[in-house]
Formats: sequence, C-alpha cells, structure tokens
Amino acid sequence: MIEKQKIRPDALKKLLEIANDPYGCLADLRKKKRIIGSTLADVPEELIHAAGLHPFLILGTNDPIRHSTAMLPDNSCSLARSNLELVVGYQGAFFDGFVLSQVCDTTQHLCDIWKRKFPDHYFENFLAPRQVARPSARDWYAQECRRLRAALENYTGRKISDEDLRQSFGLYNENRSLLRRLYDIKRDVPALMTNREFFDAVKATFFMDKQEHSRLIQEVLHWADQEKHHVTEQDGYFKAIMVGIVVEPPHLYDMLDEVKGGIVGDNLCTASRYIYHDVEVEGDPAEALADRHLRKPYFTPINEDVRRIYTDLVSLYRERKAEAIFYVHIKYCESQDYDLPDIKAQMRAEGIPFLELETEYQTTHLAQMKTRLQAFCESVIRKGLS
Amino acid sequence: MNKEAGETREKPSAKELSKQLTAAYLEDARTAHDHGKYVAYTTAVSPVELFVAHDIIPIYPENHAVACLTKQMGTELSLAMEKRGYTSHLCAYARSDMGYRITGKSAMGGIPDPDFLLACNAQCFTLTKWFEVLARQYQVPLFVFDTPQWIRDPGARKEIVKYCVRQLKEMIASLEELTGKKYDYDRLAEVMAYSRDASLLYRRFLDMAAYKPSPISIFDALIHMAITVYLRGTPQCVDYYQTLCDEVQAKADNGIGVVEDERFRLYWENLPVWFKFRDHFNLLKSYGANILTSLYVHSWSYEFDTSKDPLETLAENYVSVFSNVTLEERAEMALDLFQRYALNGSLMFVNRSCKAVSFAVYTLKDILSEKTGYPALIFESDMGDPRFYSETQIRTRIEAFLETLQRREAEAV
Ligand code: SF4
Ligand code: SF4
Repeated sequence: MIEKQKIRPDALKKLLEIANDPYGCLADLRKKKRIIGSTLADVPEELIHAAGLHPFLILGTNDPIRHSTAMLPDNSCSLARSNLELVVGYQGAFFDGFVLSQVCDTTQHLCDIWKRKFPDHYFENFLAPRQVARPSARDWYAQECRRLRAALENYTGRKISDEDLRQSFGLYNENRSLLRRLYDIKRDVPALMTNREFFDAVKATFFMDKQEHSRLIQEVLHWADQEKHHVTEQDGYFKAIMVGIVVEPPHLYDMLDEVKGGIVGDNLCTASRYIYHDVEVEGDPAEALADRHLRKPYFTPINEDVRRIYTDLVSLYRERKAEAIFYVHIKYCESQDYDLPDIKAQMRAEGIPFLELETEYQTTHLAQMKTRLQAFCESVIRKGLS
Repeated sequence: MNKEAGETREKPSAKELSKQLTAAYLEDARTAHDHGKYVAYTTAVSPVELFVAHDIIPIYPENHAVACLTKQMGTELSLAMEKRGYTSHLCAYARSDMGYRITGKSAMGGIPDPDFLLACNAQCFTLTKWFEVLARQYQVPLFVFDTPQWIRDPGARKEIVKYCVRQLKEMIASLEELTGKKYDYDRLAEVMAYSRDASLLYRRFLDMAAYKPSPISIFDALIHMAITVYLRGTPQCVDYYQTLCDEVQAKADNGIGVVEDERFRLYWENLPVWFKFRDHFNLLKSYGANILTSLYVHSWSYEFDTSKDPLETLAENYVSVFSNVTLEERAEMALDLFQRYALNGSLMFVNRSCKAVSFAVYTLKDILSEKTGYPALIFESDMGDPRFYSETQIRTRIEAFLETLQRREAEAV
C-alpha cells in the first residue's frame, strides 16, 4: 500500500504548482524584467542574471504538437519539437530573447530555424565545447562566456560588473546547495517526499526568481528536517538511479513512486547536471564558469572518455548502493541511440538491473510502460506494488 | 590497362586514373602495418592533411558505406546491426558500417581496422557518436575536432579559429604520441600545397556546370569527388583533377552536354539517394532536366591559403563547410550556385539518415523559393536504405514536378 499522504508545507505546494504551470509566474516576472529563454545543460544562466535579465530554461511542452510539425523532419527528437512548439505557441507572451546552446545536429540546426522564426527577438548562440577531454575545452568555454557577457551588455546597454557576477554566482550557488541538501534528505528518507515532488521542486527553479525559489526551498527544508524524524515507514523502498537528459513526461516519476523506487542518484540535465557543483566566486568569472561546466556529470552528446557512458553509471550505482538503473531514452535522440547497446551490454556484464524507458514528450502509451516497469521491478529487483 | 573504345591517348583517362588510384590507395591502407604506417579513420570533412603529412593513411568509413549502399546492401547491413540492439533511425552510413563489422560483408573487400579515430563535427555530430562506438570496439583513441558553428560574427570567428588551431596542435601531439615520431611541419607545407591545388582544380571541375549545356551533371560530381575526399594532399590527386578538368573542358569547348536539349537546370539539396541516383538521372534526362550541383559536392572545394600558418588555413576551411554555417549563410551559398550556374529549380531531399544536413531543409526551401521564385520539390526518404524509399510515390512526385517545370516553360514562351 502506498503510504498515506503527509501534510505538505505550502512552500512545496507552491513549487509544484509552478513546475506544472510556469507561465503565470513568468508573466508576473516579465512585468519587472526581460525574459531570456535558454536551452538545457550548457548556457551559464548566471551571466544572463547578472545582466539584469531573467533567465528561463525552455523545457518543452507535453501538449499536442500543432505548430512545429511543418518545420521539422519527422524523425526529430521530441525535445526539439516540443521546445519549438512551446516558443512558437507562446511567442509574444513570455519571451524577449533566447540564448541557445548547441550539443548535437538537432540543436545546432534548431538554433537557425528558431532565429528565423523570431527575427525581432534578441538571439545569441552559446557555442559550448562539444569535447571536454582536452585543455582547449576549458579556455573555449571561458571565451564563450566572455563573448556572451559582451553580447548581453550590448543588448541591455549596461555593463555587467564583476561584482554583479559574483552576486549572481552567490545566489545560484546558494540555490544549488539548498537543492543538494534537499536531495540528501530525500535520499535518506525516501518516504518523506515522492520523486515527483522532489524533481518538480527542482524544476521550479528553471522558471522562478532564484531568491524566491531559494526561500521556498528553505521552508521545505525546514519542514523536511523536522518531519524526517517522524517518518517511520521506510520499508519496501528500493534505491534507483535515473539516467538520461530529461524525464518526460513527468508521469515517469509517478510510476517509480508507485513501485516505491526512491531515486538516490541521477545524471539528468534537469537535476544533477544543474544542481551539482558551484561556481568559484573568487578569480576570473569566465574561468570559474568554465570550471563548473567541466565538473558537471557526464552528458551523452558531449565527447569525453568514450567509456564514461557506462563507467559513470556503474560508479554512481555502487556509490549510492542502488538496486536498479532506469534509463530514460528520448526517441530519436541519436546521442542516446549510439550509446545504448554498449551501456546495456556493460550493465549485463556487471549484473546491474537496468531498464530502458523509451519516451517522447507526447508519449501516450504510458499504461504499457507502467506494466513494463512494474514487471521489471517485480521480477528483477523483487519489489512490486505493496 | 582498360581503355575506352576509340581512345588513343597515352595518358590514362580520369576514369582509369580513378580506378588505379583507388586500388593503390586501398592496397597501401591494407598493408600499412607491414610498412610501419598507421591507419586512421576519419570523416569526409576533416583536416586529413595532418595525417598525410605524418604517413598515416586515412580511411573513410563513409566512403566504404557509400560503396555498400550503392550496391543496395543498405537494408541487409542495417538489419545485422539492428539485431544487436541499434535502431534503424541512425545514419545509413553508420548502420552500413556497423553491419559490415558484424557480418564482414562489403562491396569492396572491406577496409582495414583503425589505429586512431578523428571525428570533425563541422560535418555532423553523428560521426562523433558512431566513432565512439568504434573507439570502444577497437580500443583505440578517438580525437574529436570540435568546430563551433561558423556564426556570422567576426570577433567570434577569430576566436573560433584560435580554438580550432589549438585543437589541431593537441591532435598533432596525440599523433606524435601514437607514432613515436616528431611532427614534420615542412612536410605539412608540401601536403598543403597539393591539397590547395587539387581543391582548386576540383572546384574548377564543378564550376564547369556553368556551361550551357552543362558538360557534367551532379552524378559526375558525385563519382569524381571520391578522389579528393581520400587523396587530398597528394600529387596524384592534383594530377587526377588536372586530367579531369582537361577532359571536361574539351567537352564544354565542343558544346557537348550530358543532357541533349537541356532545358531545366536543377539544384539538388542534400546527399544523393545512393541506390537510386542512376534512375533519377535517367528520369530527369527524359524530360530534358539535369541536376547540376549541390552544396554537398562543394564541401571539398576548399581554398587553402598557403601563405598563412597551415593550421590556421586548415581551421578556417574546415570550420566553414556548408553544414557548419548558419542557415542564412547556407541559403546564400545555394543562391550563389543558382546565380553562377543559371539554375531554375530544385529538388530538395530531406534525408532521414542525416539530420545534420536535413534538419533545416524545410526552412531552407522557404528561403530559396522566396528568393528565386523557382519551383522546388521537397521529399523525405533515406539515402541508403530502400525500406524507407517509396518508389511509386517519389517517382510520381518527381514527374509531377517536372511537368510543372514544363508548364512554366510553356507559359513563359
Ligand atoms: S541531445 Fe538528443 S534529446 Fe537533446 S536535442 Fe539532441 S537529439 Fe534531442
Ligand atoms: S550522412 Fe550526415 S549524419 Fe551521416 S555521416 Fe554524413 S553528415 Fe553525418
């Protein structure tokens, strides 16, 4: 039986509300600041923030695709498709401009289509290195940060001082550290909050004012610190690792919650890649951002040691004493398509229970996926619905 | 040596030369280790001059794949790798290559295994991922030459070139480590001079499409591009393109066109449908239409400036290939071809194998149609796997397109 619903603090409810419908919050913010959308994983949001703008992470939409179909080939990944859908659908209402990064064939060319679609919006490419194996990558990332800084100054007509940057770094570092603390508690006390709740609370930070988000997370932490001592029912949970780029649709978290799979580690762009590692506040700001970028967990479209696609997973699995790995595979993402057979082979060799979940943002066959996931949990890790 | 009927020349024809050079090159590669040389896999668009100057024989899995796809082996090879858990959504070159590695089946007796891999993402990212699979399989180093998109910002371009030059230096250090041999920059300068000359001749050959009627079609370009892809940087390559230019120039001087009564001069977007290109050529010919060019075949018409630091001119040329420029600039490059070759229509292929070239084709079509006013046909299919090629549907659409061209021509009279 699923544990009875605990009383959630208002702060958590508010975070979940925003994660699931961020546009009201963005409309409010837009009254005060210009809103700049950026794509996952590589854009240093701190720079946009320090320029006095509001950075917002474009995370696509699960709504049916109407506008972007005619612009993209049939086999484009649903992340690209739904990102374009989102901005085309909401164009005037929420965005003043974009800073887009390029990590794969899809994103590189999507940038061009995007730019043409919004000729009146501010637009900047952020050309992060697609190899991180050699020293040149660090300097290149730092160089791109300098270029972006100058471009943003040009757009706003106002200098970004090193002090502005340090303040933004501090704000972002604080936010990341609060989220890491919450993750630690969630990890230790899986019955305290669901996967969906935790990852939605993280998701809210992609849209909200950072200070406000940190304030709400602090309240949640306060509640969690108290509540964790009262949670007695810890049985039946197993420890899971979540792997991928994004977990969409978010019902995948619910499915794992239903089988009592507590996520204790991940390498998602929407979680660990975002919340792990801080920016050094002292020293050259561009280099500090580069150092943080290079410390983030491995990301499949970026080239590094070619074995990291599985060695990182094995280490994370062992270090967190996990019992299964769930791999969210976005259909038509070649980066993942090329990696998966070798990852699976390695997982078999290591005896690690591994389940691939192929999804699209608009996935409709969730019932089928749920059955697979339950069958996997029952047979492979012998944990089923209680 | 084979000679075409009626030929009396002593010098071999370009076609004969191509066969000889290809055979010798493959033989060299297959016996590389016997001669203390190394074999490196690389991408068609990559600074291969660095290999040539260091006695490393470059092998292009893409070229090998083209040979297999042209011989209609695409489905069989793909099925072999699909059985190993890969998906049929991947690039047909990669599918064919991975299928070859499982089955050993090849249209040209196979290719030697690699000692080193180089992927240059100016062409695509797919190759990086495909080569990562090979790097794990053969346990050899993979070097990714990361070429940021060639955005139109002079300041950014300067920095991009610096980043690329720095990476080329990193690669040279890796090559020295691999071979235990110091890099010879004088030799690189020599190789660059050959590459420069061959690229200019290759461009001259492509530009002969400007003649009316055109003495070449894109199908000639597709056949004759092979040598510049794998023998750039050698004197044989220069010699080959000189011979080819002389032959084609003679045709042009005599007013010989590949399509008699040439009426429609078309642009092709994308790579060809390899297993169909003969059929396409014949179908078009029957309507007096010729496809003259594409940006794809122009990928190898580099302009190396040998008065510069070789690493700099290498970086500048490879980073600015059509697949790595912005869509805006790519459209301008295509429009330049429309102008120089007096084109009057386009066939735009959305190739499910190649997102790098195809992703923005719908938008590119809008731009070209808007700017030229000429009709364009757009269709989705696959360059190498007949399972994704719908014969009747595509044929009917091409015929309907050609009829539109005919109607427009009649109305214009
Ligand atoms: S990395 Fe994969 S999921 Fe992300 S945009 Fe590229 S193809 Fe899509
Ligand atoms: S066909 Fe396209 S995806 Fe395939 S290797 Fe060539 S450029 Fe890359």
